[in-house]
Amino acid sequence: MPFVEALPAEVSQRVAELVPAGEDILVQVAADMAGPTRFGTTWLVLTGQRLLLVGADGDGSVVQAPLERISQARAEVLVGGGRLEIEQRGAGAVQLYYSASLVPKFGEVAEGINQLVRGEPLSLPAELELSRCPRCGRILPEKGGICPACARRADTLKRLLSYVWPYRMRALLLLAVTLGAALVGLVPPYLLKTIIDRVLSPRVAAPAGGGFGLLALLVGGMLGVNVLTWAAEVLRRWLNTWVGFRAVEELRLRLFSSLQFLPLRFYDRRKVGALISRMTNDSDLVEIFLLFDLPFVFSNSLMICGIVGLMFYMNVQLALLVLVPVPPIVIGSTLIWGRLQGYWRRWSARWSRLSSHLNESITGIRVIKAFAQEERESGRFERRNRAVRDVSVSAERSWLVFFMVTNFFMSFGSFLVWYFGGRQLVHGRLGLGELMAFNYYLMMLYRPLKWFGDFYSFMVRAFAGAERIFEVIDARPEPFADPAARPAPRLAGHVRFRNLSFGYDPGKMVLRDIDLEVQPGEMIGLVGRSGVGKSTLVSLVCRFYDAGRGTLELDGQDIRTIRLEDLRRQIGLVAQQSFLFNDTIAANIRYGRPDASFDDVLRAARAANAHEFIVQKPDGYDMVVGEGGSKLSAGEKQRIAIARAILHDPRILILDEATSSLDTATERRIQEAIRRLVQGRTTFAIAHRLSTLRSASRLVVLEGGRIAEVGTHAELLARRGIFYHLVRTQRMTTAALAEPQPEAMPAS
Amino acid sequence: MSASAAPAPAEAPGAAAPAGASRLAPITVTHPEKVDLGAIRLFRAPPWVLRLTIEGDRSYTRVKVVRAAPLSYPRRYISLLDARDEEICMIEDLAQVGPELRAVLCEELDRRYLTAAIERVIAVRNEFGTSYWEVETNRGRREFVIQNVAENARWLGDQRLLLIDVDGNRFEVPDTGRLDRRSLAFVEQVL
Repeated sequence: MPFVEALPAEVSQRVAELVPAGEDILVQVAADMAGPTRFGTTWLVLTGQRLLLVGADGDGSVVQAPLERISQARAEVLVGGGRLEIEQRGAGAVQLYYSASLVPKFGEVAEGINQLVRGEPLSLPAELELSRCPRCGRILPEKGGICPACARRADTLKRLLSYVWPYRMRALLLLAVTLGAALVGLVPPYLLKTIIDRVLSPRVAAPAGGGFGLLALLVGGMLGVNVLTWAAEVLRRWLNTWVGFRAVEELRLRLFSSLQFLPLRFYDRRKVGALISRMTNDSDLVEIFLLFDLPFVFSNSLMICGIVGLMFYMNVQLALLVLVPVPPIVIGSTLIWGRLQGYWRRWSARWSRLSSHLNESITGIRVIKAFAQEERESGRFERRNRAVRDVSVSAERSWLVFFMVTNFFMSFGSFLVWYFGGRQLVHGRLGLGELMAFNYYLMMLYRPLKWFGDFYSFMVRAFAGAERIFEVIDARPEPFADPAARPAPRLAGHVRFRNLSFGYDPGKMVLRDIDLEVQPGEMIGLVGRSGVGKSTLVSLVCRFYDAGRGTLELDGQDIRTIRLEDLRRQIGLVAQQSFLFNDTIAANIRYGRPDASFDDVLRAARAANAHEFIVQKPDGYDMVVGEGGSKLSAGEKQRIAIARAILHDPRILILDEATSSLDTATERRIQEAIRRLVQGRTTFAIAHRLSTLRSASRLVVLEGGRIAEVGTHAELLARRGIFYHLVRTQRMTTAALAEPQPEAMPAS
Repeated sequence: MSASAAPAPAEAPGAAAPAGASRLAPITVTHPEKVDLGAIRLFRAPPWVLRLTIEGDRSYTRVKVVRAAPLSYPRRYISLLDARDEEICMIEDLAQVGPELRAVLCEELDRRYLTAAIERVIAVRNEFGTSYWEVETNRGRREFVIQNVAENARWLGDQRLLLIDVDGNRFEVPDTGRLDRRSLAFVEQVL
C-alpha cells in the first residue's frame, strides 16, 4: 500500500484524536515541505469523510476539510516542486506544498481525492516507484532504479557468470591454465637461486664435471619453464577470447531483443543516447571485465600468495622487511586515487563537451555559415579544447606523481633487501642465490599488488554497467507471448471506446471519458488543437499504451485480450514524419510483409502514386534511401510510407498528419493515394488542415481531452460550434495569405 | 587571430555609428498591450486566489507570476499570466514598481520557484558516478542526489552555482565565495 505510509507516533496520536473510530483511512502520505517556503513534513490524511493536513514539526497545526465541501483537487506543477490545491465550497482553499521529488505521488493523490469527490471508489496505482533504496535508505539515482551502493555484487557476478556457463568446460580449462601459469611463473627465481648457490657460488667446492651437469639441467629447466609459460599464455589468451567474446555476444543479443520488445512507455522516459550507451559502453565495460579482469583476479591472487609464502619459506626476516613498503603504498594509492578519479571524471566531462560541440557544429554547419559565425564557433572550440588540455595535463601530472611515489617506495623495498640481505650474506647466514631470488620475487610481487588497486575501480564500473544492462533485460516486455490472449486472424475493424481515460503521467489525464463507437470501414477524422490528445487516442488503438480507466474494444473484445501480434499486424500507421530504414525502396515498401512479390510492391507503389518518381531514380526500386530516408524528399518518403501501409493491408489504418508539410500539388497526389488506401478499412485520420478531412465519414472534435462534438462535416458546420470556428479561423488565415486555395470552405 | 572584416566593435554606443547592417532595426510588437504599471493592483481575494486589476479597465483572477529568465534576470522581466496562460503584461524591473506590489510579486515568486539557497554543505559523498549531498539551506536541511554532475551543475557566473537533483529539485549556491571553507572544499571536490 504505497499510499498509506507509516505515521510517526506523535502525528499518529493527533490523527487518532481527529478521525472518529470506524472511519477508514484511505490515504495517508507525507509531503516534504512545511508551508510554501520551508522544508519539513506535513501529513495528508484522507478518509471517506474528511481530509486532514497535519504539520509534523512540533507545532501540530491541523487543517481539516470535510469531503462533502471539497469541489476539486488540483496538483499544480511549480518550478522545482508542486502544490496541491483543494478547493472547497463556501470556505478557503487548502494548499499543500511539496518538492519535485513528490510530484508524481501527489499527482495520484489529487486524482484520488477527485475520485472520492465524484463519488467513485478510490482507485490508486498499486505501486509507486521507489525514490529511496529500501535497504540502505540512500536516495536512488533513478526512480525505481538500482541503488549503486546496494547493488548485489555477488548476484551480478553470478549472473554474469551464467553467460559463461554454456562454455563451462572451456572456462574451467581457462581457469586451470591461468592458475598453472601463475604457479609456473614462481619457478624461475628459484632456479636462479639454485644456479647461483649450487653452481656459480665460489664457496661451494664444485664436484668435477657434476657442476656442469647440474647447470645444464637447471638452465634446461629454465628454458622448459619459459616454454611452458609461453604455451600457457597462448592457450590462456585463446580460451579467454573464445569464452569472453561469446558471453558478451550473448549478453548484447539479449539486450537488443529486450529493447525491441519493451513497451513505448519505457522509451518515453529515457533518452535515446543513454540507451545506446548501454548497448555500447556498458557492454564494453562488461567485455573488458570478463576478458581481462576476471582471469587476472585468480592468477594475481595466487601469485601474491605464492610469492609471499615462498619468501617466508626462504627467509622470514627478509620477508618481513619486504612487506614494510606495502602499507604506505596501499595508503598512498588510495589517497591519490580519489584525486585522480576526480581528474578523470572532469576529463571525460570536458571531452564529451568538446565532442558534442564538434558534432553540433558539423550538423549545424549550414546555420553557422548562414549567420557567418564560423569565427565564433572556432573560438568556442578553442576554449573547450584548451579546457581538455588543462585537465589532461593536471591528470597526467598527478598520475606521474602517483607513479613515481609508488615506484620509489617499491625500490625502497629492494634497498632494504640489499642492505639487510647483504649483511646476512656477509655474516654467512644467507646465500647469494637466495638474495638474488628475493629481489626477483620482490619485483614480481608489486606488480599484482598495484593491479589490485586499479582492479577495484574497474570492477565497480563494470558491475554498474552490467546492472544497467540487466535492468533493461529484466524490464517487463510487452505481452507478446501471452498464452491467454485470443487470436484474431482477421479483424472486421469495429472499434468501441467505453468511458476511457488515459494519462502518460499519473495525475495528468490526457484523455477523459472518451465514449465512441466506430463501425467497420468508417473513416473518423480527429480534430482539435495541438496537445488535445488526438495522437494519444490513436496510440491507444495501436495498444502502444493501455487505458488507465475504461476499456477499448475491437470487434467486441477488450483490446487487452487480443493477441498483440495479430493486432499490430492489422494496424497500419502513416505518420507526419515517415521513418524509412536505410535499405532499398523495395525493401522499405515490403517492411511489413517481407514475403510480398515484386509485383505486389509495384502495385502498392502505383496505388500510392509513388511509382512514377521511383522509376526515375537511377537505381529505381533498388535505390538505397539513406539513413531515415535522407536521400528522398518529404513527399517522396510519405508516398513510400503509404505504399508500405497499402502492402501491409491493415484492417485499421491510422493517418497521423500524413499530408501536412507538403506542397499542394504533392498533397493532392497523396490525398488521391490515401483515398485508395482507406477503401474498406476503419480509418482514424488526424489533420490540422481541416479540408483534408472532408472525405471522413464522421469528425470527432476533441477539447480538453474530452469529445466535444461528433458528426459529419456538414453537420458540424451547421451546428456552429467549435468545429465551425476552427474552420472559419483557418479560412480567414488562408484568405489573409492572399492565395486562394482550392480547399476553401464549401459554399453553405 | 585578427578580427573579421566587420566594423570595428570598439565604437562607443551612442556615438554616431556608421549607417549599415550593424545597427539593429527596431522590432515592432503589438501584443500584449502596454499597461501602465501604476494602474496595476495585485491582491489576494480570497487569500488563495491571486487577482489582478488594471485600474479603471479590466480584471483577472487566478493570475500567475513567472520569471522570463529565472537564472539570468531573477529580479527583472517578470511576466504576469492570466488563467489561460496568456500574458497580461510584463514588469521589466521589480525596482520600478511600488513596495506594495513588489511585496506581492516577490511572495508569489518565492512560492513558484522552489529553489533553496545552500548556506552550508554538511557532507558530500561521491560514489559510483553519483554524488550524495546533505546541505543546510535557507529553507531547511535537505538531502539530495545528483547524477551526471557535468550536466546538472551549472555555473551561472564565476561564483554562482545551480544544482539540479535527480528529481528536478533546484539548489543554488548564490556566492561560493561566501561559503565556509569546509563547505567550499566539498563543492570543489565534486566540481
